[in-house]
Amino acid sequence: MKDQLEALRLQIQQDVKAAKTLEDLDQIDVKYLGRKGELTAMLKGLANVSAEERPVLGQLANQVKQTGLGLIAARRDELNREKISVIAETERVDVTEPGIRPPEGHLHVMTQTIREITGIFEKIGFYRTRYPEVDWDWYAFEALNMPPEHPARDDWETFFMDAPVSDKKKQGKMVLTPHTSNAQIHELERHEFPIRMLNIAKCYRRQVDATHTPMFHQFEGLYVDKDVNITHLRGVLDYFAKEFFGPGRVSRIRPHHFRFTEPSFEVDFSCGVCNATGKVNGQKCKVCKRGWLELGGAGMVHPNVLKACGVDPKKYSGFAFGWGIERLAMMKEGTQVDDIRILYQNDVRFLKQF
Amino acid sequence: MNLLVSYAWLKEYVGLKETPEQFAARMSLSGPSVEKIMPQFSGLDGIVVGEVLKLEPHPKADKLRLVTVDIGDSVSKLATRNPQLTLVCGGSNLCVGQKVAVALVGATVRWHGQGDPIVLQPAEIRGVKSEGMICAAEEIGLGEAFPSSDDHGILDLGKEIPELNVKNGTPLLDVLSGQDDVVMDIEVTANRPDCMGMVGMAREASAILKHPMKWKEPRFSSHVARRTVPESRDVATALSVKIDAKKACSRYIGVRMQGVKVAPSPWWLKRRLLSAGVRPINNLVDITNYVMLETGQPMHVFDAHKLHTRHPELGSGSKTGKSEMLKQVQHDVAEIHVRFARSGEKIRALDGKTYELDDKILVIADTEKPIAIAGVMGGEETGADANTADIVLEAASFDPVVVRKGSRKLLLQSDSQLRFEKGLSHMAPAAAMTRAIELVRELAGGEVVAMKDEQTLKYKPLKFSITTDEVSALIGIEVKKNEMVDVLKRLGFGVKLQGKKLTAEVPWWRDHDIESGRDLVEEIARIIGYARIPSVVPFETAPRQTDAVIQWEDRLKDLAKAAGYTELYSWSFVSEDLLRKAGFDPSHLLKVQNPLSADWSVMRPSLLPAMLQAVADNQEREKDLRLFECSNVYLRKTEARSAETGARHAGLRASDSELTWSDLPEEASQFMLAVRDADEGEAWRKAKGYIEHLFETFGIGGVSWKRVSNEDLWHPGRTAQAFKDDVPLATVGEIAPNIVGNFKIKGRVGAAVVNIKEFMAFAKTSKAYTASMPFPEAKRDLALAVDANVDFRDLEVAILKSDARILSVQWFDTYQGKGLAEGKKSVAMHLLIGSREKTLDSAEVDGAMNSAILACKEKFGADVRS
Repeated sequence: MKDQLEALRLQIQQDVKAAKTLEDLDQIDVKYLGRKGELTAMLKGLANVSAEERPVLGQLANQVKQTGLGLIAARRDELNREKISVIAETERVDVTEPGIRPPEGHLHVMTQTIREITGIFEKIGFYRTRYPEVDWDWYAFEALNMPPEHPARDDWETFFMDAPVSDKKKQGKMVLTPHTSNAQIHELERHEFPIRMLNIAKCYRRQVDATHTPMFHQFEGLYVDKDVNITHLRGVLDYFAKEFFGPGRVSRIRPHHFRFTEPSFEVDFSCGVCNATGKVNGQKCKVCKRGWLELGGAGMVHPNVLKACGVDPKKYSGFAFGWGIERLAMMKEGTQVDDIRILYQNDVRFLKQF
Repeated sequence: MNLLVSYAWLKEYVGLKETPEQFAARMSLSGPSVEKIMPQFSGLDGIVVGEVLKLEPHPKADKLRLVTVDIGDSVSKLATRNPQLTLVCGGSNLCVGQKVAVALVGATVRWHGQGDPIVLQPAEIRGVKSEGMICAAEEIGLGEAFPSSDDHGILDLGKEIPELNVKNGTPLLDVLSGQDDVVMDIEVTANRPDCMGMVGMAREASAILKHPMKWKEPRFSSHVARRTVPESRDVATALSVKIDAKKACSRYIGVRMQGVKVAPSPWWLKRRLLSAGVRPINNLVDITNYVMLETGQPMHVFDAHKLHTRHPELGSGSKTGKSEMLKQVQHDVAEIHVRFARSGEKIRALDGKTYELDDKILVIADTEKPIAIAGVMGGEETGADANTADIVLEAASFDPVVVRKGSRKLLLQSDSQLRFEKGLSHMAPAAAMTRAIELVRELAGGEVVAMKDEQTLKYKPLKFSITTDEVSALIGIEVKKNEMVDVLKRLGFGVKLQGKKLTAEVPWWRDHDIESGRDLVEEIARIIGYARIPSVVPFETAPRQTDAVIQWEDRLKDLAKAAGYTELYSWSFVSEDLLRKAGFDPSHLLKVQNPLSADWSVMRPSLLPAMLQAVADNQEREKDLRLFECSNVYLRKTEARSAETGARHAGLRASDSELTWSDLPEEASQFMLAVRDADEGEAWRKAKGYIEHLFETFGIGGVSWKRVSNEDLWHPGRTAQAFKDDVPLATVGEIAPNIVGNFKIKGRVGAAVVNIKEFMAFAKTSKAYTASMPFPEAKRDLALAVDANVDFRDLEVAILKSDARILSVQWFDTYQGKGLAEGKKSVAMHLLIGSREKTLDSAEVDGAMNSAILACKEKFGADVRS
């Protein structure tokens, strides 16, 4: 019986070596090692051997089984590898052909920029609001400390609605808002402090050329609380410079003039191209003015604005800031758009680039 | 508005030590912003002063001559080594001894002042070599500085600049602008018209850079009255000034001078005017412009002889005849009236155009008619010309609003008006007039014969107070009291400090922009420098959530993008024409009163018109278009209210009643999408599928779809509305073919509209979990032949009702045509059949199928198709 087992081991060895396919291996497995296979049949003969021989032969039978399984497994791996190497040839495709893509949609570059700004300010505790684009003169001008004869209130600069002038309190003419600053008034009127508002909306002005569209977007930040001062405004602007333009970028403020803030500032951001030096390889930087990019306006909320909203300027102070989203988007993307009117022409060849 | 400032000129008023770059950098941080620094004249490289030594005829051309010029030692730098050049020139005014501009080889010129600039090369002109050229002013960009009367004249430097005294070979640039001078383009904010002049700019520079002022304010009254009015003349009768429009003109100083001589201005004055972008005319006009550039106060000069004057003997209104003039001139009283124009009056202004005036436009008039549009522009008839000898100078204070409105109405702008409309001080005219008199006497001779200073209000300096604590609190750093006082004093304020109370008297030139104590904070902060203020980020958690509509808009946009739609941004205002094309009646919509053009005149009541336009515009660019927009539309509030009852979807158009817009519109956020693709019949299904996807994503179940067939916009057979609890959430379907046709769109357009306010009342971002069926379900297909007008939804409901074990009915095909009777269709569905108690055996599944079939047979006469 010992010889039989040894012969079986050799037989399995030979057959496995000769096996050409995975199916051949399966057959070998069944034929010799399976439930009804030759090894099982041989083991039935164990009952007839002596008690001394039985454990020795049992152990040998088990060895034969393990060897056989091992050989089959090894050969199976071999055959598998061979099969894959063949697939590389038989199932070859041209991998430079395009893939099948999911449907590709596009968000408008304005939406993307608005979201980026929103994200930046939400991180330091600002919330977004929505207030009317068509609003009363009171909100658009009067409460913003703009005198009745201010040029912005001319129909030369601002769109008015074809609607009767209201004589109700806090109304007047119906205006298509030329800035997002009307949101300051609406927000202040709620008398809920602190105010940490971010208002992003469409605005309208009577101007159209390569750098102006009669409809455009602005954002307006307003922070009003007790003890708010210029250091906080500088902090917010510096923070924005880093978040939006990248590390190392900073802001600066310069004197400017707006009716609804005092002091008022022009906000510049350091130029990323020349690193605020104004020079690139000894030449004047083409992107900025002496190292700085002019972007928008800011200022400390004018006491008259607070008063118009029933807020005590002795108790509360704050700042406002804001600028055009279109310009910001163009600066960020480095998009060389010669004519920003393309933003609102709904040309898919433009829209699909974003 | 911007001011062009010659740095050398500015230095005459303040002791500046900085380079122009340093000046620009420092000033921009604390005051007016320097936007550009540039040379006054450019493109003059390689152009030098030469002297004409000899003139000879050209052997082959009558009109050309050979000119020998001396160009001194400038040659050392140049290719040629000869200090004398012989050049070919056609200049008609050439003469020996003349100083001319010689462009050497390598210089840039424009032939006859036209075409592109070219770099000069050695040339042979009709057989004669010429290494350079003698230039006409316009050939080297100086046409404005030296207008020539002769087309063929070269620039005669000695004639244009009589004081010229330079060596031959001196670069022309050095002659013209003086070495090292630059011109700065400086932005002045609207509140600081006092800086729209050299003196004002110098005051700012003095305060910011801490350099002393060199300018001494001319003393007005004593100067004029005591020294320049000859006592023999009757001062009272030579000039009268009457301000009729008292609110529109607070001050008018008129000065009559006689015996003046008109001539070209000297070069130093011309150069300064040119540096500021002002064209020289003659000494009198140039003086008024110069004084404006210097002090910021606009001035005007009239020719007194050309005014209609009141002759004491003849009475008022007689125009003095030329012959009588000489005799009578000393007795004429030049009468100046400041009044509003009378309707029908006209004036021909200095720009050569005639303007029709009305009673809103302030004018300066003589006894008969307007002679100037106050603060805007003088009249041509009464302007100073070559023969002027007797003048009236004007320096006045006009109301900024009156000036602005007049200028806008006439569409006429000027340097004067741009200053006046910002608000100039009541005190400014005096210094300006004194300066003008000085200059007239110096440059044109003549004497003052009369002076009038009419004022309709009395000037009192403004005073404001603030506490030093308030200043420091707003700035955010502790500023020392004496530093505050010092800054304000440097700016010209009179300062008094009592304890913590700071009181400042506003200098007259700031009387329009300093309005309260708060304004002093800005003055202090900007001068100490904003860079000194640290930056502190005020972190905090948001006290409120972002507006819910904005959050939902963002979710809707993301979903649409993910599904392959491209976002549009259209104008909020559209044209009436576009609205009509899209089936809207614009007559009752909210309109812009002063649109820029008819294209942008009506506030859109729907996103649809622009979207259809976008489909039309893009249809050739892309076959499959999937577009969406999410933005506001502008509706009547009453209409918005009726939306809750379902009327708004049907009523995208305004109601018929004649309503005016007495209230603000509702700005309703709307989501709209459009599909156009190759698979034409299915456009509506894609739109609907999208909305189903939207509802599914945001947890809106149990929606009922109702057919819409009474809407002009929508295809009557292919449109439905989704209702949830009787509230309409969306309209989907196909746009009516005739509307699509109006836009010349080929094919079909599927569309969907969601009104966000209604949608978000039901939408959820969180979802409830339902356990999966514990036992496997059976899937069976069923195809039923029914009348073509039976809706799938009705079959679905009937099947679901027929047996509780039928869990869902999924449509997968509808067929009409061959093999089916006319008017019949076959609807194919997958049925999911199962139970929460056990796995159903096939007999039970068959039972459920039979109930379904039976129910459909009973209700709709359906036949099973195998």
